[in-house]
Amino acid sequence: MQKVFADFIHTLRQQGVPVSPAETLDALKVAELLGVQERHQLRHGLGLVLAKNQQDKQTYEHYFDEFFKFTEVTPSTKGEDSEGEKGEDGIHEPSEPNQDLSANGDGPSDISSSSGQGGGESEDAGESESELMLSGDLAVQAQSPLGQMLQAGDAAEIAMAIARAGQQEGVQNIQLFTQKPLFSYRMMNQMGNEALNQELLELDASNELAQQRLASRLRNAQAHLQEQVRDYVEQQYLLYAEAKGQQLRENTLQKVKLTNIDNHYAHQMADLVRKAAKRLASLHSRKRKLRKRGLLDVRKTIAANAAYDGVLFHTRWKTTVVDRPKIMVICDVSGSVSRVARFLLLFVHSLQEVLPRTRSFVFSSDMGEVTNLFKDQSLEEALSDIMTTWANQSTSYDKALADFSEQALQDVDQKTTVIMLGDARNNNGNGRADIWQKVYQQAGRVLWLNPEHINSWDTGDSIMASYRPYCSELHCCNSLRDLERILGNLLKHS
Amino acid sequence: MIIKHADKIASPEVLQGAFEQRGYICSDAIATAVYLACHLQKPILVEGPPGVGKTELAKVTAEYLAAPLIRMQCYEGLDEAKALYEWKYGKQLLYTQVLKDQLGDVMRGARGLDESVERLHSFGDIFYSEQFLETRPLLQALREPDGAVLLIDEIDKSDQEFEAFLLELLSDYQVSIPEIGTVKAKSKPIVFLTSNNTRELGDALKRRCLHLHIPFPETHLENQIIASQVPDMDENLRGQLVDFVHELRQMALKKVPAISESIDWARALLLLNVDNLDEKWVRDTLSLLLKYQDDIEIVEPELRKIMNQINA
Repeated sequence: MQKVFADFIHTLRQQGVPVSPAETLDALKVAELLGVQERHQLRHGLGLVLAKNQQDKQTYEHYFDEFFKFTEVTPSTKGEDSEGEKGEDGIHEPSEPNQDLSANGDGPSDISSSSGQGGGESEDAGESESELMLSGDLAVQAQSPLGQMLQAGDAAEIAMAIARAGQQEGVQNIQLFTQKPLFSYRMMNQMGNEALNQELLELDASNELAQQRLASRLRNAQAHLQEQVRDYVEQQYLLYAEAKGQQLRENTLQKVKLTNIDNHYAHQMADLVRKAAKRLASLHSRKRKLRKRGLLDVRKTIAANAAYDGVLFHTRWKTTVVDRPKIMVICDVSGSVSRVARFLLLFVHSLQEVLPRTRSFVFSSDMGEVTNLFKDQSLEEALSDIMTTWANQSTSYDKALADFSEQALQDVDQKTTVIMLGDARNNNGNGRADIWQKVYQQAGRVLWLNPEHINSWDTGDSIMASYRPYCSELHCCNSLRDLERILGNLLKHS
Repeated sequence: MIIKHADKIASPEVLQGAFEQRGYICSDAIATAVYLACHLQKPILVEGPPGVGKTELAKVTAEYLAAPLIRMQCYEGLDEAKALYEWKYGKQLLYTQVLKDQLGDVMRGARGLDESVERLHSFGDIFYSEQFLETRPLLQALREPDGAVLLIDEIDKSDQEFEAFLLELLSDYQVSIPEIGTVKAKSKPIVFLTSNNTRELGDALKRRCLHLHIPFPETHLENQIIASQVPDMDENLRGQLVDFVHELRQMALKKVPAISESIDWARALLLLNVDNLDEKWVRDTLSLLLKYQDDIEIVEPELRKIMNQINA
């Protein structure tokens, strides 16, 4: 049972539900307490300890159903299938399948059996005896172990064998969908497929009718088995690896340069940016304190002076420290950065959610404040609005900075962090570095994040050098990971 | 406490039945959660929209187990002096003044400073002892000899620091008071924490709790709830009412009506002798269900459509 739970929890972790070891222990205690007979109750009970927010709960419920459906249904379907096959051969009494179905129907919630097939086994036991007797009527017996098993046709045993082979071959470690055939092949071999093939060849060679009949029967069964194995691998893949592929993609996307990301991935990228921003939010949104002075804290004062016979020596003041950084983000959306502009804007938007006192500006030549636009509209609308209104003009840092000094320079103070997202490609204008100097003098900190690699700075019409003296920090920022790291640092120190 | 009531918490079904008798209709998930909390001795963190009966769950549990309910309402700025314990400073001051002369008597005859201090030490910490301790809800819950039901209401409203402070209490049922030492629970209380999700709670807190999310109930469950709370109501009208509220919950409103609002509405309709829910009545009493003028303005034009839907 522990193994099943461990596998299940592993699956949950794969799907992004954070389950700690302590919670795993809790889950085992819950299962012990509730028993595994009441599937419904167990589902609620495990949900209480394993999934601790609503999103996780949904994931949990989905995978609980998936995971334990697999174990309970397998024996019965397998039973039916093989039954049907024998029915065609005309060996089996027609009454048997019904009996089998009802027998399996009794134990739908039997999830205790270690891989689910154990429960089926005992129910099928009576049936498999009759099977053996029937096959005993045939003059010829299969020689290879797998052949014998197939001839016996015990669904439960076959399913057990499949699970055993799967475990030995480590199907749980499947990573990519391309590995599915490989694992199926290995599992078949593990179960003794080669010996069976050998035997089939020998049977084909003989001229006796009984032997040839056996060969064709075994072939059928073999094909059927192959299908079962494929199904098994498929299920395991869905349980263990589906999320891994996704993770792999996400990891890669994080590292790839923003300029090189295909539009096709833009949607996934948006999700990633949101995730990153949420992570930043949960890490840093707690520093919300403001110092409030001037109120005497009577209780604390008396307590502090109890030692002096109640004479008020020391005063204690009520303080609550609330300290929230003020941030201004300026984002270049002109043609030269158009490929990354969307992502930068995405991040600006997320940043604004994290730090409510963020003001956002965009420009290519005219500068406009978009703080309210982000606040009032949904992200998609805001982005398309910005791109149509502000983007696609030729860049002019001159004009933009002049606008900035008009609109916001008076609000820049020592507590403000100014972040510029842009490539400093100014179409050979002079750049008005004097304004940037003023910003630098007034602000607490000035960050410049350039999407271009450091080697391309100051080449062509890039005038990074003239702004460089007036930045407290300068970073090359061209992947999501860079962005996250830099802003994480920013939030840590603010 | 658990041992005393072993038969009362024999299985989730028993709990469900008993709660039902007390007018609290609960889903299987809720009954299972309470059952597990009793047996595993873990706190339950109850989340869900306002008005689905989170606080009520703690109350009914306390009533059923015949344990005192100790309630602590959280708010911003709540600290351990208000939650756990405080010294009775006034009393301490008064006593020092009164005992000043006594102190002189005691010290009389002592030679040198060392001996005086020695004598003082032999009296122990009189001023920091039980008599001067003002217990607050958390300490009270720990010191209850037969166990208690502790309700920490709206934990999300409290500060980060307070949440961290609760960790020791929730995992080991003990707290440390510097002057006295560690206070361990005489009998472990059953703890309910409720949260409206105004902020995400820390993982450490969540890890220590069973996490129960109470959503808005399904139609048949809500039907039962109203039947038990407002028993005189006509069955037909009740069905209409529940359907109507469910329709409202599908709409994009600022605050959708919760169970408590449905119950209020049901009582109002009963009082007004309404026997069939029609548009006029709904329009007149809509303010009972919706608490924002904006919401009412959204719903009013749609009323006919909704009424047609629920009568269909």
